[in-house]
Amino acid sequence: MPEPKQQENYLLETRDLKVHFPVYGGVFRRKTGKVYAVDGVSLKVSAGKTLGLVGESGCGKTTVGRAVLRLYELSGGEVIFEGKNISGMPESEIRPLRRNMQMVFQDPFESLDARQTVGDILEEPLIIHEIGSRSTRRKDVENLLLRVGMPESAITRFPHEFSGGQRQRIGIARAIALKPRLIVCDEPVSALDVSIQSQILNLLLDLQSEMNLTYLFIAHDLSVVKHISDHIAVMYLGKIVEYTDADSVYKNPFHPYTQALISAIPVPDPSVRKQKMVLHGDVPSPLSPPPGCRFHTRCPFAFGRCRSEEPDLLRAPGTECEDHLVACHLVNSEK
Amino acid sequence: MRLNPLTIKKIKRFRSIRRGYYSFIILTLMILASLFAEALVNNRALVVRHGERYYCPVYGRMNPGKVFGLDYDYETNYRQLQKRFKEEGRGNWVLMPPVPYNAYENDLREDRFPPFPPSFAEKHYLGTDNVGRDILARLIYGFRIAIGFSLLLLLFDFGIGISIGSAMGYFGGKFDLFFQRIIEIWSNVPFLYVIIIISSVVVPGFITLIIIMAFFGWIGMTWTIRTVTYKEKSREYVLAAKALGASDSRIVFRHIIPNTISVIVTYAPFAVSGGIVAITSLDYLGFGLAPPTPSWGELLQQAWTHMDSWWIGASVIGAMTITLIAVTFIGEAVREAFDPKMYTTYE
Repeated sequence: MPEPKQQENYLLETRDLKVHFPVYGGVFRRKTGKVYAVDGVSLKVSAGKTLGLVGESGCGKTTVGRAVLRLYELSGGEVIFEGKNISGMPESEIRPLRRNMQMVFQDPFESLDARQTVGDILEEPLIIHEIGSRSTRRKDVENLLLRVGMPESAITRFPHEFSGGQRQRIGIARAIALKPRLIVCDEPVSALDVSIQSQILNLLLDLQSEMNLTYLFIAHDLSVVKHISDHIAVMYLGKIVEYTDADSVYKNPFHPYTQALISAIPVPDPSVRKQKMVLHGDVPSPLSPPPGCRFHTRCPFAFGRCRSEEPDLLRAPGTECEDHLVACHLVNSEK
Repeated sequence: MRLNPLTIKKIKRFRSIRRGYYSFIILTLMILASLFAEALVNNRALVVRHGERYYCPVYGRMNPGKVFGLDYDYETNYRQLQKRFKEEGRGNWVLMPPVPYNAYENDLREDRFPPFPPSFAEKHYLGTDNVGRDILARLIYGFRIAIGFSLLLLLFDFGIGISIGSAMGYFGGKFDLFFQRIIEIWSNVPFLYVIIIISSVVVPGFITLIIIMAFFGWIGMTWTIRTVTYKEKSREYVLAAKALGASDSRIVFRHIIPNTISVIVTYAPFAVSGGIVAITSLDYLGFGLAPPTPSWGELLQQAWTHMDSWWIGASVIGAMTITLIAVTFIGEAVREAFDPKMYTTYE
């Protein structure tokens, strides 16, 4: 990745982030292989901005989000948060940092403890980080609920008494309870109805401008990401294939995979006949990713070099955009 | 405290399963009755009126015979006192419990040999055993010991099982592997031989016996809790707690264990019936509590040797059947009411 022109204030940076999960097999449960869930991802997120991370299911985007928060052990690379390298830190040192980095989960049915009241759920972060006293905490929880558009009366109720959208609001309230700087949003709207999605997205946008939040927004739906992101990174099989600002992705996608994703966005106009680019085949197993460009097995433009040589993430030629990076031999050899 | 509406639903569902609910009421009444067994089954009087004074010997001090104008210093025989007061007709009276016999007391007759058959006139409602002890008294005190034993055993078993099991499930890895092997070895130790060896050296008391039993009884619960912990641990709310910075102990105690409570509750009734059967069979074999502790196992043993005295066997087998059926019905109803399939919504 080329150095940026001006020294920007990055809140979060990953350098060649790798997360591999061991696979055990055989009689003695020995390590027989690895899942290359994330295999060398470098990202930069500026403070107060949103980076959208898109990709198919199983491409490792959720793993990136969790690895950034050190919920998964890293197999390699670095995570730099607020200028500090947190990749090797012991959990005891990370714990206080968790105040500044939070997460909103995909499934609002799973991510809230069904045995706790909403009040308990929202109070928990305050208890863990020893903020306030019992009475002030209660006041804080009420404010949080109001802030995310929930009635105060929710405090004594249980998560299963609410709808998906309301639960996701509770999940968001929990994430902002500690007034963090970074929130990793792991597909926060993909489990919701379309009508609710925009409400939640707008809530996230409101909170961002109000609290100066930085989002790492993970989604598989480009139209959702478009709405909220400043920059977008497209992931395929554990690697970033294209990184650019939100507009250029739509106007000027370079990578064949990005092009395919964009052509898959439905257009709400039946008279438009789009030339759809349909990808064939499945995502290869991350247990044994293909050599060369990982996309070559499904790429309609693949040629000899793609099968042997792994493309680097390089500045795309011929764009007006400052940092439009693509990892594709086809694009990069046009220079 | 506000109960989780789901919990309320489960309780309602439990109550709607009539068989289990009535069994629960019956068993609760039996346990309550056995807790107040002293007032129901006793050779001490409930109330004695002597002169102008009232005595309550059941829960009071030991009253020597002289207190009531008798000519001995040892404890008053209230049954005789009752007859005597009646004959005297001076306004003194004795109110005896419904069963006026102690579980340890030999009620012997001069012209006959025990066991005596049931007799309402003598107030041996279920007869006596081969040394003249009232069977009903022994059944009730034996029940109290058996249920107390199995509840305490449950506490020990579940305490150990839950702590080791949740640690195994939560920490996984080497810790889990190590304890798995320990358990595999442990469960191959023949429990009965150990009991026989121990009771040939010392006569086990109540607590000793519980400790020995818990020594072998924790394994089942550990396995179960280990499994459910593994399941709960991989759920997202645990990850969410971790992302908030919650410590391991907080996650285990505040999140995982409360979420496994329905499993624990479901297992409890079956563990209780298991405990009752265990103590009874140990007593039957003679490796349990030392005689003359009232015990069902010992009564069963007597029933076996005195087949012709049908009332011994009939009463103890009847009592066991009723208790175990009640506990099993409760267990069934709890399992049904707590069935997670009824409350999980798959979206």
